[in-house]
This record gives sequence, C-alpha cells and structure tokens, in this order.
Amino acid sequence: MLRAGADRFNRMRMIEFLDLDAIHECRCLVVGAGALGNEVVKDLVLSGFRYITLVDHDVISRSNLSRCLFFREKDVGSVKKARAIASRARSIDPDARVRPNISRIQFVDMSDHDIILGCVDNIDARIHINSHARFLSIPYIDGATYGLRGKVQTVLSDGPCLQCAMNRTHVKQMERHFSCSGDDVFVTPIPSDITTTAVIAGMMVREAMKIVSGRSDLCSRDMCYYDGEKGTTELLDVPVDPTCPNHGGD
Amino acid sequence: MTLVITVKNVANGATVRMETEPEERIGEIIESAAEYWKKDPGAYVLKKGKTLLSASSTIDESGIIGNDILELIPDPEGGST
Ligand SMILES: [Zn+2]
Repeated sequence: MLRAGADRFNRMRMIEFLDLDAIHECRCLVVGAGALGNEVVKDLVLSGFRYITLVDHDVISRSNLSRCLFFREKDVGSVKKARAIASRARSIDPDARVRPNISRIQFVDMSDHDIILGCVDNIDARIHINSHARFLSIPYIDGATYGLRGKVQTVLSDGPCLQCAMNRTHVKQMERHFSCSGDDVFVTPIPSDITTTAVIAGMMVREAMKIVSGRSDLCSRDMCYYDGEKGTTELLDVPVDPTCPNHGGD
Repeated sequence: MTLVITVKNVANGATVRMETEPEERIGEIIESAAEYWKKDPGAYVLKKGKTLLSASSTIDESGIIGNDILELIPDPEGGST
C-alpha cells in the first residue's frame, strides 16, 4: 500500500544496482534541447538526476510542439528551448536544477561535467562532442533518430567512438549542411515522431543510470540500433577504427 | 580475385550484387551502394550480421567472402529540430 509520505524514489531503490546518491550528485551535460532533449531531461529528472546543464541556442518553433513535452504554443517564436525546459523541469521535481546555457556546443566548456548526453541533429556537433568527451574522459551517450529509426551509442574512455563508425557518406552529409549556409550549420528538416524519440531518450538515460551507478559493464558499448518499423532493437559491434583521429589515426 | 557479394538495402529490402576485390575498402562499397539506390541524402553504414564494418578496412580485412550478404542501413542524424 502506498504511503503519502513515501520516498519518491522508493520503487527505483528496488533496482539493486542503481546508486541513487550518485545519480543525485551527478553533473549532467545535455546538448540539444529539441525533441530528444525534452525527453532526455524529463527522464533524467524523473530518475533523480538533479544537476543538469542544458545547451541550446535555438528558439522554439511550431513544429517542435508535436514532440516536446515542455514547450507551449505561447512559446513559439520567442522563447529559447533551453530556458523553457529549465524553467518547467522543476515542476516535475523541485530538487532538480536545470541550468540553461544559450550557446552552441562549440563554445561550451564540457570539462565540468560527469556525463554528457548528446541530443543534437547534425554530424558536425556529434564529432565535436565525441572528440572532446574522449579527450576529457567523460562518458558520452549519443542518441539520434530518423523517422521510426534511431540509435544510441555510448562512448567511454576505452572502446570505439562515434567516428570509428563514420565514413565518406558522413563527410558528404556535413558538406551538404555547410554548402547550404556558408559558415553555419544548416540542418534540413528530419522526419521525427515522439514515439521513436521517447524510446531513444529512454535508452540514453538508462545507459547514464548504469554508468553513474558504477555499472559501465552493463552498458551497450557499441551501437544499439532501433527499428520502429519492424519493432526490433539490435546491438551492433563497432570495431575500433585505427584510422579514427580519436584512436591515433590521422 | 574478384568476389561477388550482395548488398541489401534495409530501407526497402532491395538487393544488388556487386563485384569487389579483396583490397577494396568498405567505405567505397558504402558510397557505391548509396549512389546505386540514389538514396536520400544522409549517412549510411554497412553491417555484416551483428558487426558494423569499418570504412577504412578492406574486404579482405573484414573477413568478407564470396556470396556474403551485407546490409546498408541509414545512420540516423536527427534529434534536436
Ligand atoms: Zn574512434
């Protein structure tokens, strides 16, 4: 029977390996405050993470509203995504401290964090976070979606990184972004829905819970590939690429 | 020695037979397959069974043999917009 004064994390404490104290103290860096960022922050706060820095320079647009729990119609066109999430996340847990950083990730010092969750929408940002996280030995969990497909890749100080799984098609995609906008990253609209976003965000935060609880051994170390059309999840081995610049290559 | 492999496009189930050489790099196979299907702009990866193939590795180094079936899958990029 539920008691009115029961600990909010009572049920989570029944998952024996979870270290709620470590989760409460962890300093999370969430990069990207769009669809994935909304879901990731929601899951982090519900899971007991209290110190979250949220990086995004963008303003809320109407197309965000079908996938973003923390955004409202009145925000469209004027409110920064990171500010909206930061101000409303405390309604989920008053102990949560979500600090917005209205910036591009390229201008953010990542070193002051224990874990990084990437919720971005372009390869350029992923490569930036990936290389800095590896250099700083900060665990990095990257999530991505495309329509009903998505993936999660966890990068630790040993093992493969994101760039190990990249090739010329990734370079061409980056060039397409740059060629459209000169010196800026231009991102074309990508098919997206909330159900796939929610699945990927849940997987990302679950990986974070394992790492912060000292159970990196339980992590999906390589690439977890989700296909929502088929309803399948597949764990793919990613070999370390000796030519990867983060692994001693050029 | 030429090897004939099959690349399967997981997005639509289509397949294509490709002639390769043992020293050909996986990255070239990925680009060729993506161009063959004139796929949507985006990034793709190639897998054999449960293993992603490293773009810098050759067919030989990847342990690929004749009549192997490789799968081309889109590498999702979205999340923030
Ligand atoms: Zn690497």
